[in-house]
Amino acid sequence: MEIEACLRKDYITNLVREGKRLDGRRFDEYRNIEIEKNYVGEKACGSALVRLGETKVLVGVSLNVGEPYPDAPEEGVMTVSAELRPMASPSFEAGPPGEEAIEVARVVDRGIRESGAIEMEKLFIEEGKVWIVFVDIHVLDQEGNMIDASGIASIAALLNTRMPRYEDDQIIRGEWSGKLPISCVPVPCTSVKIDDSILIDPSLDEEYAMDARLTVVTTDTINAMQKGGQGALKEDEILSAIDLSFDKGNEIRKLIQGP
Amino acid sequence: MLYVQDGDLVIPGQLMGEKIRHDINCFHEGDKVFSSVRGIVRVEDNRVRVIPSSGGYVPREGDLVIGVITNILPGRWSVNIRSPYLCTLRGEEVTRDPLGVDLSRYFKIGDRISAKISMVDEVHSCQITGPWKLEGGIIIDVDPKRIPRVVGRRRSMLNIIKEKTGCKIVVGQNGWIWIKDKQTEFAIKTIKRIEREAQTQGLTDRIIKMLDKELSIKL
Amino acid sequence: MAKEDIELIKNGKRLDGRKFDELREIKIEVGVLSRAMGSAYIEWGKNKVIAAVYGPRELHPKYLRDPRRAHLRCIYNLAPFSVEDRKRPGPDRRSVEISKVSSDALSSVVMLEKYPNTVIDIFIEILQADAGTRCAGLNAASVALADAGIPMRDIVSSCAAGKVNGEIVLDLMKEEDNLGECDLPVAIIPRKKEVVLLQMDGKLTREEFKKAYELAVDGAMRVYKMQKEALISSVNDVIIGE
Repeated sequence: MEIEACLRKDYITNLVREGKRLDGRRFDEYRNIEIEKNYVGEKACGSALVRLGETKVLVGVSLNVGEPYPDAPEEGVMTVSAELRPMASPSFEAGPPGEEAIEVARVVDRGIRESGAIEMEKLFIEEGKVWIVFVDIHVLDQEGNMIDASGIASIAALLNTRMPRYEDDQIIRGEWSGKLPISCVPVPCTSVKIDDSILIDPSLDEEYAMDARLTVVTTDTINAMQKGGQGALKEDEILSAIDLSFDKGNEIRKLIQGP
Repeated sequence: MLYVQDGDLVIPGQLMGEKIRHDINCFHEGDKVFSSVRGIVRVEDNRVRVIPSSGGYVPREGDLVIGVITNILPGRWSVNIRSPYLCTLRGEEVTRDPLGVDLSRYFKIGDRISAKISMVDEVHSCQITGPWKLEGGIIIDVDPKRIPRVVGRRRSMLNIIKEKTGCKIVVGQNGWIWIKDKQTEFAIKTIKRIEREAQTQGLTDRIIKMLDKELSIKL
Repeated sequence: MAKEDIELIKNGKRLDGRKFDELREIKIEVGVLSRAMGSAYIEWGKNKVIAAVYGPRELHPKYLRDPRRAHLRCIYNLAPFSVEDRKRPGPDRRSVEISKVSSDALSSVVMLEKYPNTVIDIFIEILQADAGTRCAGLNAASVALADAGIPMRDIVSSCAAGKVNGEIVLDLMKEEDNLGECDLPVAIIPRKKEVVLLQMDGKLTREEFKKAYELAVDGAMRVYKMQKEALISSVNDVIIGE
């Protein structure tokens, strides 16, 4: 039983009915977003720490050389994993990733993969050898909307990922040869439905109060979507969440790309 | 022999004196007295104690707490009071025949109540008495060790907040605070600030200033 | 190449210019996480570590409950990207061992008897590793415990010494750890200077051990001062702008 839901859920729902949010935000307003690129820059090939309000996610990118998939022999490989570290929430437990962690990883994965953000064909080395890109999502503090924080941190980390030098069939650690080729910046934006209203970037309390959730990953098109929560969404709610996601996605993209 | 002064900040294991009388959050080895927590030293009548700056809740007899009903068992409820220990509310509190009636008529799972701790046993399991259902409103979390600052000396701080915001407020010693009525968000903001700055000087003045300033903008 | 051939020490200085008894740069921050009851971040040279504390809280499974005292459970974890060659997620033998010796070290100071039947969870997350992570993790963990308000008889402070190119030196960095002759991490209870963690691998004579041990304890005492300062200033520096 989630005690948190009993403490604040009704109040938050009533507040939404009056057009307000507990932290004073508008319905279409994100919490403060801070992106610290290269946060663990000494060992990882790329990294970024994202603070979305009090939610904190660190993503590290590691590169290795390995075999391509048989159906794409001349393309690199990307795998995205997420760990909801037990320090991030009293309800997270140590152990292998559960379904919540896997959902986070897969939504982020689909956004990056389907937008073609990583130029996979440039990761070909020679027959049977390609670069493998590991994107590891580490959720450190869960105060709501882990998916957006994870997605923003992932693409920000990929944007500052360096390619290790590769000579005579060996990776030379600590030496670099250029950057990972990135063609676009997919951004996930998550909205929740509370009492027939659509709110973007739910706080933890709003997640407890939500009926349903919709994540839309955009570039100049929609690249991935994920509906969550036990409630249902109507068509016009989905469409307004999409519009909101394009708008906010553009703003966040500028933040990610930096000055 | 005292090595610290009233108001000093200490950390666990810090030597505070020798051959002195000591009270809560202190321990001694031989004649030496140490702090067991991080917090502020209080010296009164040559007796030293430490007010911790943070920490979880352990039930104490007589505390008013806020809880959530988590289960209905034969003749009693179990209640979450934000402590790692079992807390029960006996059916006799509300009916003469707790085993014969459907207890959910009185309190359902998920209901929020305030009550007093009437008994704590040797492993910290406790019973509460005088349940009062908290309808509507919101419950916020505050570090239980900072609750005394939210209440203030002789309830002074709490009265200021209640008076200026017009909110109904019930403060549980377990760090849950129930707030209801118009300026709830403002009361939350004020309480969160008190929590953050609990162990600093001049807090009451800063809070009054903040309340007056924000309220004058609203009016 | 034989170990002895690599010059880790030149003209009395180490690879990164440190003297034999010099620590790497250390920075400690307290209360860095929002959900945890206590937390601390430590940057120690290139090491970056977060520790967080939850508890005392209900212990599951029930059979682990001890009616005389709390159970202290420390989990040390290396993030996959914390090392150059990606580490597979999940515990391996090394991290399980470090978790155990860290739990033991911290149990020696925490007043577990105050919270029977419960568990105190400590999570140590290595975000970037560059030798000495268990010491950094322990230092952060004991600060996080104090930040969580858990009663303790003392703070645990930790530092390593070792042998590099025949010299006894303090606080080995990665290259020295990989190529040096010995590593000796030590954790102490500062006010008694008693040892609560000690591990060693490599080769040392009895005399060398004594020298390395004293150096490590001296390093830990210097770390203790920084832990204390971080804990005190975390209470003092909270007044926000008007």
